[in-house]
Amino acid sequence: MDQNGAVVGPLYLFELASSQARYLELRQSTIATNVANANTPGFRARDVEPFNKVLDGMPVRLATTSPSHMQLAAAETDTRATAKKDSWEVVHSGNSVSLEQEMIKGSDVNRDYSMNSAIVRSFHRMVLAGAKA
Amino acid sequence: MLDSLSASLTVASSGLEAQSTRMRIVSENLANATSTGRTAGADPYQRKTITFDAAMDRASGSQLAKVKEIGVDTTPYRVEYDPGHPAADKAGYVKLPNVNMMIEMADMREVNRSYEANLQVVKQVRSMLGMTIDLLRS
Repeated sequence: MDQNGAVVGPLYLFELASSQARYLELRQSTIATNVANANTPGFRARDVEPFNKVLDGMPVRLATTSPSHMQLAAAETDTRATAKKDSWEVVHSGNSVSLEQEMIKGSDVNRDYSMNSAIVRSFHRMVLAGAKA
Repeated sequence: MLDSLSASLTVASSGLEAQSTRMRIVSENLANATSTGRTAGADPYQRKTITFDAAMDRASGSQLAKVKEIGVDTTPYRVEYDPGHPAADKAGYVKLPNVNMMIEMADMREVNRSYEANLQVVKQVRSMLGMTIDLLRS
């Protein structure tokens, strides 16, 4: 990857993996907030937009084919926390956190994160193998 | 601003703290389930209640669970006829605390469940941090 963060060939994978890791960390933090406030009256459970949606919404970047081209700021993956509509339960106090649902989401995030780090590790090994050869 | 994983740990620990305060209130209620007044006609122990509130934490940018208020339950006391009791009034009735064992037990189970859920979040965050650190090891 070059210094400007522009997409260069297959090394784009590192950038993709780190933006997914950021997304998963944010989702985990949202889950933690939901669980901590599982008994707070009127608290609405929140969730983050799915990663593929975030990825689709990323603006198309212009390729820089000459050093004299202007540089655009690298667009950050922006993950907005959205009010959740599909909660499993809403109790009388207006709280819509379902602990079971949060646990399932938590293990989803954990599994995805594990896959993410495994991909980064094996890709890193590939890069090292290429450098040694 | 903290990174998301550290913020998750902060939030989960705020949840643990709120639930343990709730557990303290439940145990106070249970311990004082038969605490009557000392003088004739005096009021007994009044059941305590606890409410939570989501508080925005600027340092981590997330909503922590905080204890909003520890109040008292205003339901009427139980009354029992026991003329020999030191707290009995002129007619021989003693006021007993408005603590219902069943409600306290149910509350305790709920505290347990919420506490466990928060601990589970802590475990998951720790394993995620472990995976990130493992990337450096390979």
